[in-house]
Amino acid sequence: MVPGSITERPSAPAMLDAEPAADLLIRLENIHVSYELADGSRKKVLDGIDLDIRRGEFVSVIGRTGCGKSTLLRLVLGAETPTEGRVLADGREVVRPDRDRGYVPQRYSLFPDKSVIDNITFGPEVEQFSLLTRFTPGFYGRRREFRAEAMRQLRRMGLHESDANKYPDQLSGGMQQRVAIAQALVMKPKILLMDEAFSALDPGTRAGMQKLIRQVWRETQTTVLFVTHNIAEAIHLGTRIVVLAKDGAESSGSKVALDLTVPSDLDEEFAKIAGRVEAAAGHSRLDEDE
Amino acid sequence: MSLLSISVKPNRFTAWLLSWFLFAAGISLYFYTAQKRHQENPDDRVVPTLAQLGAGLYQAAMNPDADEEPASDAAGQSALERFRSGMLWKDTVASARRFFYGLALLFPAVLLGLHMGLFPYFGTFFLRFILFFDKIIALSVLPILFIAFGIDELSKVMLIVIGVTPTIILDTFNLTKSVPPEQIVKGFTLGARDFDVAYRVVLKQIWPRVLNSIRLNLKPLMLFLFAGEMIASTDGLAYRIALLRRHMGMNIIIPYVLWVALLLFLVDLTMRLLNKRLHPWFREA
Amino acid sequence: MKLRPTLLFSVVAALVLPLAAQKPAFTVGWSVYVGWNPYYYMAKSGIMKKWADKYGITVKVQRFDYAPSLEAFVAKNIEACAMTNMEALDMPAAAGIDTTAIIVGDYSNGNDAVLTRNGVTFKNLPGKKLLLVEKTVSQYLFERGMAMNGMESQIKRVHLVNTSDSDIAAAFIADTSHEAVVTWKPLVSQILKTPGVTNIFNSSQIPGEILDLTVVRTDVLNRTDGSGQKFAKALTGAWYETMGLMSANGADKVLAAIAEGSQDSLQSYKEQLSTTHMLFTPQAALQLATSPEMKQKMTLVKTFCFNHGLLGESTKSMDEVAIRYPDGTVEGKADRIRLRFEKAYMQAVSEGKL
Repeated sequence: MVPGSITERPSAPAMLDAEPAADLLIRLENIHVSYELADGSRKKVLDGIDLDIRRGEFVSVIGRTGCGKSTLLRLVLGAETPTEGRVLADGREVVRPDRDRGYVPQRYSLFPDKSVIDNITFGPEVEQFSLLTRFTPGFYGRRREFRAEAMRQLRRMGLHESDANKYPDQLSGGMQQRVAIAQALVMKPKILLMDEAFSALDPGTRAGMQKLIRQVWRETQTTVLFVTHNIAEAIHLGTRIVVLAKDGAESSGSKVALDLTVPSDLDEEFAKIAGRVEAAAGHSRLDEDE
Repeated sequence: MSLLSISVKPNRFTAWLLSWFLFAAGISLYFYTAQKRHQENPDDRVVPTLAQLGAGLYQAAMNPDADEEPASDAAGQSALERFRSGMLWKDTVASARRFFYGLALLFPAVLLGLHMGLFPYFGTFFLRFILFFDKIIALSVLPILFIAFGIDELSKVMLIVIGVTPTIILDTFNLTKSVPPEQIVKGFTLGARDFDVAYRVVLKQIWPRVLNSIRLNLKPLMLFLFAGEMIASTDGLAYRIALLRRHMGMNIIIPYVLWVALLLFLVDLTMRLLNKRLHPWFREA
Repeated sequence: MKLRPTLLFSVVAALVLPLAAQKPAFTVGWSVYVGWNPYYYMAKSGIMKKWADKYGITVKVQRFDYAPSLEAFVAKNIEACAMTNMEALDMPAAAGIDTTAIIVGDYSNGNDAVLTRNGVTFKNLPGKKLLLVEKTVSQYLFERGMAMNGMESQIKRVHLVNTSDSDIAAAFIADTSHEAVVTWKPLVSQILKTPGVTNIFNSSQIPGEILDLTVVRTDVLNRTDGSGQKFAKALTGAWYETMGLMSANGADKVLAAIAEGSQDSLQSYKEQLSTTHMLFTPQAALQLATSPEMKQKMTLVKTFCFNHGLLGESTKSMDEVAIRYPDGTVEGKADRIRLRFEKAYMQAVSEGKL
């Protein structure tokens, strides 16, 4: 088994053995989300969602287009408030986005006016230096530290030092998302929220990114909430799969249709068969991306 | 292939030549007319000849305003000193001062637009009023302007401000609104506070577009400046043109008009270059 | 079909007939001012048309703003124009357009005034700001006022603020930091309503220096087919007929009609007339035009224009723009006559020969 490859899967269920209460990171209680349309009628998006996310989980949220999975993510993020119910993070109610919950959107994930390295150092700089103290001499010393740390993150994401001073529009989609993940992780958030982060990438790049996020999750033990509409991706990446679907007519809201734990030996089985196929076909690597 | 089709690719020399053609045609037509009119009437002042234009330009640049007290050491001045005490330079300085005051006051307008776009209470408080205020034609409320600000420098700068600021505010507001919400959320998730998001995320992004918007408004700014100077002034480029109009001093008016065009072009160019240098990442313009 | 030939014929006829019946056409331009408003009535009442028909020509009476009327005259778009003696020197004369004044209509007798607040006089004017339309009769009035009060050497120490006539009243009334203004009626009347403002000098103290004339391009008058002279005769005849109506019994009706042309009330117009010395009869006009004082006063005006470069920046001396008076004397170089005063037409009217 190649370390760090998608075929290696640490035992996520083992984490569930720890005390449930202390382990609980995110709780969604009786969430209803609806809004008023132009003609006065109400459109329901989420209809009674209860969901717990524990530390260390990699939760894949999946569903058809329009099923409200992005809305769910935004609720946890704090960018949206529920019409009914509440969202708790570490026991406290979520009212706005903050540094505890990192975010990697599908597009516009980087600041276009900053270089790659500046994008990554943004968080640490902003946290420690306000607009005024930004111009004090102490800043420049700390900035060197921030940049060193940012370089480490860059390298971990598989990027090259020469990319550090490039601007986002000079990078490919995959590279941009790598930087975005680095940017979010450098703040050491409690949970990483990824909203269809790989959906805009081509299949080859996508496969590489899936490997990367798996590896990163393993190393940093961050909790991840991963929204996608790709079933294979959801199953491969997640330790747990939550499916949202409308319960009935188009105009009704979505509920949790399925919430299952992915068996930890899924990958072992997959790897076994894959290995046999590889051996039989005579290639050294079959799952290599281009 | 037909010269007029879309798919043609003119070579560089031809393109260069063509781009100067209208200038050449216009200038030739002008001097032809001047010559004809001067044949009929050597004293014609409506269409001055090249020699007259040159003389007019020299006089305006080197000689002081006839109505002013002459400098005490007028005799012993060098060419540069003469230029600096000449009519053209003094008018330029007077107008330029007002122009740059007006321009400087546009920056608070940018900040207002930014805050209106980001902070909801701020936005609802100001937006409706500014949309209305934008529709007030500044020139039509001149008497009110006079009462409030007098007819000296302040009212001229205020005329510019009232005329141009609403556009800048609304433009910046729209630019702020068009920043993808993902960026703003991102900012918060990285630990930024409200003002950090406003200035270090949003303003930094939209700044090159804001500069372009200001550049586009240089002409209206100039227009209001000129209107103010033509209505009541003691000096300035437009003041001089208004005065010269009274006795058809076209030999000075035409150089003044071209001088103003040159200055405007230089300011625009400077802003464009500045924009490029400060924001190399901005690809649109 | 039968309609077609008829239609064709009508179209052709409509195009051709006006050409065939073309009479010499002339235009006289005027702008709103107490001494020139009679033109409105001349056109409206049909007096102008009557005189034009008498001489077999058409005369169009066209209203302008003042500066555009001068520009149209210099550009040769109109053949005659109402203007002051100062403009007659500056615009056409200095631009090389030989101009003849055929009617001396009136002189300003208080219509133009210098107004101040806070008891400011000519003596303490240097160093202060003065609102006016620069390079016009207002500036002339100001300089004459300074000269007549022994302040000629201090003229350049007064700061002139060029203010457009459409805004000068509002500007002076609103901004009390400006203490002096020179302008004309009815703006003067408006400003005088403000408390604390006094009239320290006006054109009645320089009678005969600010003249209102009707001028015609000399080359038009000299047209070989004589149509130009017919134009001058028609204009002069119509003018003095109107003048007669304005000064006769029951003139109020006519005056009201004239005032209407500038959206003025009868009372306001009569008030302006009271400070205008109208030369209602050709005899009065002739007397003024042929008087020796006239030459002195024109010289004063010409000196002002020359000093301010109004005769053209490249004009080296006053003689370059010469004036020819009714008695034949020429002030300036004989080969550079640009402004002529012609008494023949006024004389013809006075003798009843038109």
